[in-house]
Amino acid sequence: MKTTVRKTKARTRRILRERISFTGKLLLGLFFCSPLIICLLFSFQPNSEVSTAPLKLITTDPTIENYAEVFLHTEMGHYLLNTLFMCVVCIFFHLLFASFCAYAFVFFDFKLKSFFFTLIQVHMMIPGEVVIIQNYVTIQNWNLVDTYLALVITGLVSAGSIFMMRQYYRTLPRELKEAATLDGCSDAGFLFRIAMPLSVPIMCSLAIDGFIHTYNAYFWPLLITTTDKMRTVQIGMASLMGGDSMNYGVVLAGAVLCMLLPVLAFVIGQDYLIKGMTAGAVKS
Amino acid sequence: MVIKNKKAKMLKAKRKTPLPYFLTVPAILLFGTFTFFPFAKTILYSFAKISKSGQFEKWVGTVLWEKILGNSETWTIVGATLKFAAVNMVLTFFVALLFALLCVKVCKGNKLYQTLFAIPMAIASSPAAAIWLFIYRQDAGLLNQILGTNIDWLHSENTALLAISVVTAWMHIGHSFLFLMVGFRNVSEDLIEAATLDGAGAWTRTVKVLIPMASPQIFYVVFLNITSAFKSFAQIRLLTGGSFGTKTLVMASYTARNSGNYTYSYIYSIMLFIIIFVVTRIQFMFEKRLVHYQ
Repeated sequence: MKTTVRKTKARTRRILRERISFTGKLLLGLFFCSPLIICLLFSFQPNSEVSTAPLKLITTDPTIENYAEVFLHTEMGHYLLNTLFMCVVCIFFHLLFASFCAYAFVFFDFKLKSFFFTLIQVHMMIPGEVVIIQNYVTIQNWNLVDTYLALVITGLVSAGSIFMMRQYYRTLPRELKEAATLDGCSDAGFLFRIAMPLSVPIMCSLAIDGFIHTYNAYFWPLLITTTDKMRTVQIGMASLMGGDSMNYGVVLAGAVLCMLLPVLAFVIGQDYLIKGMTAGAVKS
Repeated sequence: MVIKNKKAKMLKAKRKTPLPYFLTVPAILLFGTFTFFPFAKTILYSFAKISKSGQFEKWVGTVLWEKILGNSETWTIVGATLKFAAVNMVLTFFVALLFALLCVKVCKGNKLYQTLFAIPMAIASSPAAAIWLFIYRQDAGLLNQILGTNIDWLHSENTALLAISVVTAWMHIGHSFLFLMVGFRNVSEDLIEAATLDGAGAWTRTVKVLIPMASPQIFYVVFLNITSAFKSFAQIRLLTGGSFGTKTLVMASYTARNSGNYTYSYIYSIMLFIIIFVVTRIQFMFEKRLVHYQ
């Protein structure tokens, strides 16, 4: 009898402790994300309230006019389409080139294999920010400034995704390839019909990572686009921030619109993203 | 025997197939065009006079290099870059470490706060800059209202660099946190249990077991944050425009180009490359010596 009482007491204490620790962590998480919550709350306040002290978190007079303003005064819809186009093209080629190169490196021996592989490794040592200005000059010399081609061309292939795909293909048993070949499957057929379908989970994590990365790109679109029609969401959103008469309500509404898709992609694809992130980088 | 011959034949045939070249050459060409070629050109043209529209004019040798290296402003820029990276690394690493340690145990509802800890990593620099501008501004700024101060956070030599580091760390913590969390979770249960049986408390377990066992991840995260801080651009441009001691090398390279000084821009880029290269070398060196692989 006594022991059961003690047991239940210990249990309630444990549950209580778990609840407290959960609430504590949740509050810490909410505090960490508070800039996002602040952004969301203030984006629904009229400009007169957002720009005068003291600020109030909850308004008595919520409005969606900030959002209307964003769509009315900027080409937000257009920016979004440009950005999505950029994302789709870049992700498609990322996956294609990653699969192609990984397949060649894992399943074939060819003369320049180690040379090509070294090149890709060396490429990873050169950050994009170092060559970005020279790349702009290249695009300028090709008369491609302000074109969709220029927007995507530097983001078509990534060494990181090649490495990750290669790591995955290495786990495929060699016998699989031999069996397929004996059954009359061509080399290209093996890639398209067996290897690529098997790597769909890896492709998902690469795609989500690629989406967040491409959607959030700032430096290159800033350099390469000059007209309003070619701007991406990031540049368009940032252009709301300029000027002395900047309307914070509108800026925050723009920020909310700008963040919506990547946050959604992150929440949905979180598990894939974590798997992909940790698979490639650290050998353990 | 026949099969063996067939296999050998197939292997030989495979070696002759041009397929691997079809598969790799497009990617290699892209790398060449947009990384190797411009990199070589960046180095070469740092010794040349470049017109305001980016075209080569004539070779000038090391004159401009000497001018830049002899200018004290350059060293202010390098100093700001290093300081920014250091502050950003410390901020990001310790907060990420705290979050990761809180998430080692998988319990009910852990997905919820795990998502909250990680989500700012999906936020791009422009919206992040917008939000933090709202928080930092002097008149009717949120931070000033909470603290009861009247500081112009982004327009003062004392606070601008720190303010930008906070924004950058806020965006980068999620990534580091997830890495460390996975690293900690991969430490075997048996090991932790053994330590507990030996009488190790939570603190000792963390310092003596978890952290050493996850040292590859910790190491990776520390250096990742240094290099990603070196490459930061958007939030600096949008929040301070590189003034008040926040002009880093990327920012300097961008502003030099904007004023038509391509050679200066290239020289800053190369300096950035050298710094990142040295840091990466140090990383590899220490990794071999210090990191504890399971």
